[in-house]
Amino acid sequence: MNKIKVPITENLGHGHLACAGCGAAISMRLTLKALGEKTIMVFPASCWSIVPGFWPYSSYRITAVHAGFVTGAATASGVRAALDVRGDDETLVAVWAGDGGTFDIGLQALSGAAERNENLLYICNDNEGYMNTGTQRSSATPLLAWTTTTPVMQPKENPKKDIMAIMADHHIPYAATATIAYPEDLIRKLEKAKGIRGTRFIHLFSPCPPGWKMASEQSVKISRLAVRSRIFPLYEIENGRDYTIQEEQRVVPVREYLKLQGRFSHLTEKDIEITQANVDDTWERLLRRARC
Amino acid sequence: MSKQITFKSVSEMPMISVSLGDMDWNKTGTWRTQRPFYEDKTPPCSAACPAGNDIVAFIQKIAQEDFEGAWNIIKEENPFPGVCGRVCFHPCESKCNRGSFDEPVAIHALERFVADFAFRLNKKTGKAREKRKEKVAIIGSGPAGMSCAYHLARLHYDVTVFESFSLAGGMLRMGIPSYRLPKNILDRELSDIEALGVDIRTGVSLGEDLRLEDLKDYQAVFISTGAHRSRGLHIPGEKEKGVLSGLDLLKKINLSKRVKLGDKIAVIGGGNTAMDVARSVIRLGKKATILYRRSREEMPAFEDEIVEALEEGVKIRYLVNPIRVGQKDGLKRLECLRMELSEKDESGRRRPVPIPNSNLFIDADHVVIAAGEEIEASFLPEGLEKKEGIVLTQRDGSAGIKGVFAGGDLTSNQRTIAHAIGSGKKGAMAIDAFLKGKDAEGAIIQNLIGEGPSLSIWGYLHPDERTRNPQIVKFEELNMDYFEPAKRQQESKSAVKERIKGFKEVSSTLSEGVALDEAERCFSCGTCNECENCYVFCPDGSILKREELFSHQVDYDYCKGCGICFTECPRGAISLKEEAK
Repeated sequence: MNKIKVPITENLGHGHLACAGCGAAISMRLTLKALGEKTIMVFPASCWSIVPGFWPYSSYRITAVHAGFVTGAATASGVRAALDVRGDDETLVAVWAGDGGTFDIGLQALSGAAERNENLLYICNDNEGYMNTGTQRSSATPLLAWTTTTPVMQPKENPKKDIMAIMADHHIPYAATATIAYPEDLIRKLEKAKGIRGTRFIHLFSPCPPGWKMASEQSVKISRLAVRSRIFPLYEIENGRDYTIQEEQRVVPVREYLKLQGRFSHLTEKDIEITQANVDDTWERLLRRARC
Repeated sequence: MSKQITFKSVSEMPMISVSLGDMDWNKTGTWRTQRPFYEDKTPPCSAACPAGNDIVAFIQKIAQEDFEGAWNIIKEENPFPGVCGRVCFHPCESKCNRGSFDEPVAIHALERFVADFAFRLNKKTGKAREKRKEKVAIIGSGPAGMSCAYHLARLHYDVTVFESFSLAGGMLRMGIPSYRLPKNILDRELSDIEALGVDIRTGVSLGEDLRLEDLKDYQAVFISTGAHRSRGLHIPGEKEKGVLSGLDLLKKINLSKRVKLGDKIAVIGGGNTAMDVARSVIRLGKKATILYRRSREEMPAFEDEIVEALEEGVKIRYLVNPIRVGQKDGLKRLECLRMELSEKDESGRRRPVPIPNSNLFIDADHVVIAAGEEIEASFLPEGLEKKEGIVLTQRDGSAGIKGVFAGGDLTSNQRTIAHAIGSGKKGAMAIDAFLKGKDAEGAIIQNLIGEGPSLSIWGYLHPDERTRNPQIVKFEELNMDYFEPAKRQQESKSAVKERIKGFKEVSSTLSEGVALDEAERCFSCGTCNECENCYVFCPDGSILKREELFSHQVDYDYCKGCGICFTECPRGAISLKEEAK
């Protein structure tokens, strides 16, 4: 096997409050390794308003700005403008929002910034629900999943919103998906994004042990299975048009991914078939978009 | 700043809610319910190696391109890597976990690569400088005796080896044809042992020239005279002219190659001696037919040997059993019965039973009986305990007389080179413990690899160093997400046409590039090779790394015990245990 190489710098300090096995804590640690200290990161409400610690402490070793739920991309646009006024070209302005703050609540601010092609890196840390407030559904919650607002008697009826297609159709210079089981891919994409001007969007998939009702030691495994089962394919879109798919050679049925998570434990054989069909369909749609 | 901050009044607070300190004071280690820790476990290959080679360790050295380091590791346990890499039956490979994924690692080929690399550099094992005053006599210079001599010399003993034959090496020299084990390879490894100060006296036979009473100057004796007497078939005519013993014929061929033989040779037996005889005979330009009373499946010879013998034109007739050796027209005429297989016997193989009235005749110039060997007990000193055809050794390695130890084929029915090397090492450990007045049995038990019976002398010499958990790593404990299928690399073999022209070695040593590829295939079961997955995936940054250096340390102040390092370790080198309450 090849040794996985990641930068040695640690910009997420010790003592943070993420749950044991938090996939997003791995996402954050790797992201901050890739982005470096010269980063100002804007945090609309999410787990990451809480995880770094409470005032007057913070485990971030970069400059962090906490913002209202709706305002991630808008606040970042402002920070960027202020830096531009000061002639600071070097500092990267990034947003770290949850799926709630991206797919739902922050979508209009994000769409506005993307349409203006604001010079910022927007990272959506997707754990498929409002995990910080008690696991309510978001529009990133997958089909048939359990949440406290989609109980097993009536699991989520709608498939996950295709945020990547939405962002691609803003024709932003760069959009990519990434997840923790592929750290070198994740870091490569962040470094690539860092070198591009304009709005860049990273869809970062982070398993959540309590919200997904899974064992804490399985976070990386489930992240890998998400890619292998094509629940979460890895790809990049440049200028809304040019697709590059990082295809996993070892494809597994979606059942392998579902069976490790309590939020899917109520699924019947029929439900698993429906989920597989949905995954196959989404994969086909991606291939079709990539082809034309 | 890792202290908690307190404000004595509102005026001390900042104007806006800006952070003033980090969270290092928050010791999240207190959340932990399970504790990960680095713990090397026993790889199945090492536990299966009768010679006790530290296989994972030497292969990992190859992978790091440190071939000399690999050689040093093998030589800690085994003075014969060049021999074993060629002719050991490599039980390590049948236990290799990679076999459950694609194909086992070609461990023997890597061992051979390392040995030949060291030969090219003219590497020598360092000579033990100061000698102890105790002297040890070793009788028999085969793999058991020489392994014992090697380890005792490294333990600073004054060692003398007595050999009845004019050259050292025992069965390695006399029983193995040079197309499998070239003599120069054997000579190099023997001279390496001599270079440690071991005195080899050839032409001295136990019983005739030498008796136990003559060895009063020696504080311990190790007897490893082997098993050289051919087992007969107990059928009429087997003592007649024209009927040879397999081992005797092999000895003649191996020592001179000038042997007068007729054209057609019938070889009786299904073991490695039968194969070696038949393949040697083919190389002398004769025709060889092997007669075996069971089927191919039950053949005790190693699969590679059978395949190569067939390639070279050896004929094998299965399910025939000779009952009489007769004569006809100046030829030997073997009368045989056809056999069929019935239910399994105590050896786990199906028992052959004769088919009545199925007599058939096979004519040959010579008949060679290669139906196994037994020990020659007549010259052994009185007082040695014997049982079921072998000399019995105690759990402390001794053989019934105070100060006398025994090993090799003489003491075991598992007659392989690796077993002999292992028993020589056990003898050396036992003799050292005996001479130092220590508990030999305890030392042996303490240094078993896994559950045993393989032994580690490295462990014996370094009692305080980090030791492996004896638990053998199972395939299910490895994480296959980090490995891609990769083809097993093999030594190349020369063309059959070339092979049968003479006694040149059949297979060749791996090239450096191929050896590196093959070493990369090793899972390194239970042994951390610093892949750093634990460091990369820790959500809490609790795997300590100093600058670029990996430390094998968990920062328990902050580790929350999620267990990701345990799951993502590809090789089962991290364990989890419940946190003490």
